[in-house]
Amino acid sequence: MKAGLSYRKREQIAGGFKFVILLVFGLLLITPFVWMVSVGFDRTANVTMPFPPKLVPKHPSSFNFGIVFENGSLIKAYLNSAIVTVSSVLIGVSASLLAGYAFSKGRFKGKKVLFVVVLCTLMIPMEPRLIPLYKLFNSVHLLNTFWPLVLPSLISGMLIFLCKQFFDQLPDTLREASQIDGAGEFTTFFRIYLPLAGPIVATMIILAFIWSWNDFMWPLVVLNDKELQTVPLYLASFSLENGTRLGGLTMALATMSVLPIVILYLFLQKYIIQSIALSGVKGE
Amino acid sequence: MANNSIELNVRMEVEKVRSKRKDWGLKWYVFLIPSFLGILLFMVYPIFESLRLSFYQSNGTVEHYIGLANFKSVLTSNSFWNAVWNTFFIGIFQIIITIPLGFIFASIINSTKRGQNFFKVLYFLPNVTSIVAAAMIFAFVLHPEMGIVNYVLHAIGLPTPGWLSDPSTSKWAVIILAVWHWVGFVIIICLANLQAIPSEMYEAAKIDGASGLQQWFFITIPNMAGTFAFLLITGWIGALQRFNEVYVLGGPNGSPARSIQTMGAFIYERGFTGFEFGIASAATYIMFILILVFTFINLKVSKMKI
Repeated sequence: MKAGLSYRKREQIAGGFKFVILLVFGLLLITPFVWMVSVGFDRTANVTMPFPPKLVPKHPSSFNFGIVFENGSLIKAYLNSAIVTVSSVLIGVSASLLAGYAFSKGRFKGKKVLFVVVLCTLMIPMEPRLIPLYKLFNSVHLLNTFWPLVLPSLISGMLIFLCKQFFDQLPDTLREASQIDGAGEFTTFFRIYLPLAGPIVATMIILAFIWSWNDFMWPLVVLNDKELQTVPLYLASFSLENGTRLGGLTMALATMSVLPIVILYLFLQKYIIQSIALSGVKGE
Repeated sequence: MANNSIELNVRMEVEKVRSKRKDWGLKWYVFLIPSFLGILLFMVYPIFESLRLSFYQSNGTVEHYIGLANFKSVLTSNSFWNAVWNTFFIGIFQIIITIPLGFIFASIINSTKRGQNFFKVLYFLPNVTSIVAAAMIFAFVLHPEMGIVNYVLHAIGLPTPGWLSDPSTSKWAVIILAVWHWVGFVIIICLANLQAIPSEMYEAAKIDGASGLQQWFFITIPNMAGTFAFLLITGWIGALQRFNEVYVLGGPNGSPARSIQTMGAFIYERGFTGFEFGIASAATYIMFILILVFTFINLKVSKMKI
């Protein structure tokens, strides 16, 4: 009895200790964000950074944020990113749903071989394709448009793979029942299977969104026009232009670029973390 | 008798559906058209075109065949090997720091009862922000005079490195950024797999009188071997492709003094600031082969089923 009590007490102390450690390191991890916001609200940080660092600036001001919005480039970049990302997600997820369904429920010649081809695309990184794709889009005069960013999203081996795995778990009998009723393959897909695919569609949208939103090297290669810059491109060009001058302005800009994603993350955290874990556990 | 005829009817129906399905075989290819159009145009064609280009001298308009000269020139170029060295150095330290660190935190989060979800969300936060924005912030965080890191180091009496302004420490600045950004991902993957270890194993160990730490060493760690292999290889493949953050912090040539120019940045510099398409293609092929080898090992190790 006595031993049990002390065991419980020990457990409690250990639990409290763990909690404190996790909290301290967690706060340490987000310190850069906290500092970013603090410096962003400091007007004088553009001339001299506040030193020693403070949590709340001496003279808080929204001056830097005013400039970020007045200038309009960030909003423009957001619009560009939104157009590119939504289109990429749309075509990537649609194409992968069709292919994933066919690889799961279809019976046709060469299914295995074609699926191996899809898996092989998982091994092909962007770098060796940069120059030929650049030349390809150049030859059809589509550089400095959004097409080169959107069209290659048509193929994602990872999305097809995740989608096939999901449909594999759904019973074939649904298909047979629907076809005894005389429905064709497309009707069966759209009426029976697609409505059941909600969870995997959500995962696919989240992953495709993250990939497209954060894409950097390829957009850097095909977009020179400042008017067309996506958010990462605008941030990088601002950063390379100004270096570590204009601390206040840079941090205000960084804050505004991070904030919408963080808010989205806080709302969808459960699904985002699940999606990441799923894509991680299953390969790539 | 009646039963039999119903059975026969059903069987005939099923047969009909089956034979119908055979006729519809072609329809399935329609489902695959968009994806395979993408594969042909954006995967197969560029991979072969890139291989062809690596045997040509090319600036995008004029081309002529020069055999293996591009490969020779890349493999004898100091700046290429410097880029390889930088890429490997940053990658190796990022991985050997982040995986154990992430695993330890995942274990602690997994064993705590209070606020598990809160910590998950908190620790994953750096990973959801784009690495470009993160690099932008870290240029200030690691600033030698005004940054918070050196402020803390100075306050506790440690030397304050020049970080990104000094070629001898700039790679460490990138490593710190990379660890900070990646650790959340490692934690999430570890947590998912920690929760998949059957609890019976721990219960049996407890009955045998194993302490918490013993359980961790003899049950948890061996069960996580596959996860570590997966993280090691995906981390390594990602590290070989590092570009975004070094471009933001040091430009295409990886300043200061090319000390943070990675292979990706080398390719970008030669291909898109110098327009030496042949040289850049040869370099991408060398990198591609490296990545291919590691991806192949990954698929073998994680036993992805087809």
